[in-house]
Amino acid sequence: MKVASGLWDVIKREVRLLTSRPIYLVGMTVVPICMALFFVSLLGEGLPKRVPAAIVDLDHSQTSRQMARSLEAMELIDIKGEFDSYNKAMDAVQRGDIYGFFMIPDDFERDAIGGRGTKLTFYSNLTFYVPGTLVFKGFKTMAVTTSGRIVQTTLSSKGAPDALTGALLQPMTINNHPLNNPWMNYSYYLSTSFLPGLLELMIFLMTAYAICHEIKTGRSNEWLATGRGDIWTAIVGKLAPQTLVFTVIGLGMNALMFHYLHFPHNCPTWHMTLGMVLFVIACQGFAVFICEIMPNLRLALSLCSLSGILAFSIAAFSFPVQAMYGGIAIFSYILPVRWYFLIYIDQALNGMALYFSRYYYAALLVFPIMAMLFAPLLRRAARKPVYVP
Amino acid sequence: MLRGFWNDMKEWFLETAKVLRREFGLVLSSPGTLLFFFALPLAYPIIYATIYNTEVTRDMPVAVVDNCRSAESREFVRHADATQAIKICGYASNMGEAKRWWEEKKCYGILEIPADYSRRTYRGEQGVINFYSDMSLLLRYRTFLESLTSLQMATDADLRTMAMNTLGISAPGQESGVETESFFLGDPEQGFASFILPGIVVLIMQQSMLLGITFLSGASDDRKRLHGGVDPAAIVASPSAIVIGKALCYVMIYIPLCIYILHYIPVWFALPHIGNMWQAILFMFPLLIASAMLGQTLQIMVTERESAFIVVVFTSVAFLFLSGLTWPRYAMQPLWKLLGDIVPATWGVEGFIRINNNGATLAQQSTPYHWLWRLSLAYFITAWLVTRWKNRCVAKC
Repeated sequence: MKVASGLWDVIKREVRLLTSRPIYLVGMTVVPICMALFFVSLLGEGLPKRVPAAIVDLDHSQTSRQMARSLEAMELIDIKGEFDSYNKAMDAVQRGDIYGFFMIPDDFERDAIGGRGTKLTFYSNLTFYVPGTLVFKGFKTMAVTTSGRIVQTTLSSKGAPDALTGALLQPMTINNHPLNNPWMNYSYYLSTSFLPGLLELMIFLMTAYAICHEIKTGRSNEWLATGRGDIWTAIVGKLAPQTLVFTVIGLGMNALMFHYLHFPHNCPTWHMTLGMVLFVIACQGFAVFICEIMPNLRLALSLCSLSGILAFSIAAFSFPVQAMYGGIAIFSYILPVRWYFLIYIDQALNGMALYFSRYYYAALLVFPIMAMLFAPLLRRAARKPVYVP
Repeated sequence: MLRGFWNDMKEWFLETAKVLRREFGLVLSSPGTLLFFFALPLAYPIIYATIYNTEVTRDMPVAVVDNCRSAESREFVRHADATQAIKICGYASNMGEAKRWWEEKKCYGILEIPADYSRRTYRGEQGVINFYSDMSLLLRYRTFLESLTSLQMATDADLRTMAMNTLGISAPGQESGVETESFFLGDPEQGFASFILPGIVVLIMQQSMLLGITFLSGASDDRKRLHGGVDPAAIVASPSAIVIGKALCYVMIYIPLCIYILHYIPVWFALPHIGNMWQAILFMFPLLIASAMLGQTLQIMVTERESAFIVVVFTSVAFLFLSGLTWPRYAMQPLWKLLGDIVPATWGVEGFIRINNNGATLAQQSTPYHWLWRLSLAYFITAWLVTRWKNRCVAKC
């Protein structure tokens, strides 16, 4: 009974604190909601198609003009113009007007039909990875089909039966099946990883802020006393209102992506909901753990910012952990968002059985347990608050 | 009258110099600002470089379901194993078993060869092989796709030559074909570090400076609270002298860091670095000024040291996306483009990576360069207004 009433008092005290300062409102609701809308709207198209590109046609033949027209018709590429030399096209790339160009050499048609050998070259600017890759893909398709057409013409002229030229052109083919994302939608990875990443960052910061601010302002004794002197009651009571707010926001993000925008969601709703609830608690556990080993507002916030920001790179949303150096890859797994992302991939994207993700859910539970184990450290700091101005 | 003007000028310069000196003292005496102004820009590029230094992903495990069991299918699998992307992790007896491997994360792709593969290729029909790719990361799929495309073209060429020999037609030799060749500009290895690092370091410079400046301003507010509304460490000076004096201090600190980040980091980690370094530094100069002014404008949102974290840290993610590094700016809605326009790092990233990776000259990057100067001026005005407002508050209190 004592615990329950203490818990209730801490919660009431915390709600008063949260509503008394705008920084809580901003950090807990305004920032995550605005960022969610920002990401979803920015990445709305899924793929930045119609990449600005150009052609350098030195041949000016019927074939080359036909290729130019086919390139213009491509979905991936937006042909901005034609240049008459390599140098001019390169200048446009360096200026940033185009992301790549396709070069048709002198006498291309004559040499190709005459069997004298010629070469199509194309340049893609990978300084910008996504548009560079898309432009490469468009150009490659163009080059391969053109060269195929010319091989076909050569084969016919050498007397291969018409029925066979098709098969001779491509005696075998590999059909690619991109599982569960045949649209190659980039937003399915960026939105689903960066939004939880951002939520994680804000939970880290607000948790550390709320706890260490008590110590900074010297009110931590009062906080502990409200919890009837029990540090676990004090921590749980203090964080419960935040847990509620962040969980609602996290589930709102999920609803936005999976329900309104129809992101792949191949599992029962409660799989992702459970994941989100555990994720929010895991993030709080991580931040509490940092406050316990470093009960100083500035240091705790620094460490939380550091891990929250590095999470975007090291939790491997775009570059695989398996390809990182072993010593670095380990750090990926000490962040809650990594486990949440793995749950998303397994459950929502790939629709696997819950069995295959069991460790990911379990890993999220480790964070609050760690925080609870080290709570006595925080009690010591809360009893004797030290603030170094 | 002229004499009065000269005296005012002298006064102003003295004030600016005093502010500059005091700001240096404040920066060097607080561990927090040392962390933001020195530790962060020095350490972050190295951390990021170590994360992405392997550049590419290769030899990803792939399972084979070979229903054909012919010499041709085995040869194909051997060739697939030899590509950069694929490492055959084993033969599964059927698709069910292969799927199970995929679910247990033992493989990231499944190569399925149908029973009639070699028969069809011999008959002059098209042989079809299926590749199922795990899509948990786009980079894996991209790497698979590239290796498989080359593998298909090579296998086709072999089979074609063989088929034409049996038909008695002379095969089109190398000289008569149309070759294709592709070049990757700016990142010839197609590596991940080479693409992301040159942009990120620019963002790190802006963000660490913003954090440091807002932190200093929060510290001053903290001191005001302790001393009844007056910051004992502040110099009494005109707002313009304060703004310019402080900005000079920050820019002077960041110029050596600029050389470290823009020159030594790419050299140490073998990142693309073909542009002229002096032009790059000349280009970055207005970025530093604009960031210093933007930081002094953002002071208005920070009233204690620690809120600097909450106000500034999350913007790094937003600014990264607004800069167009991951999501190109041509595909953005006008509102987001406009928002990106007013962030110095957007132009800094764009101009710097084109100079550094594409070897552009400063003249070719005149648009971002001019934008950076415009932003410097605009944020100088806002910083001046904020500083004036803050000083007036003190006078009133």
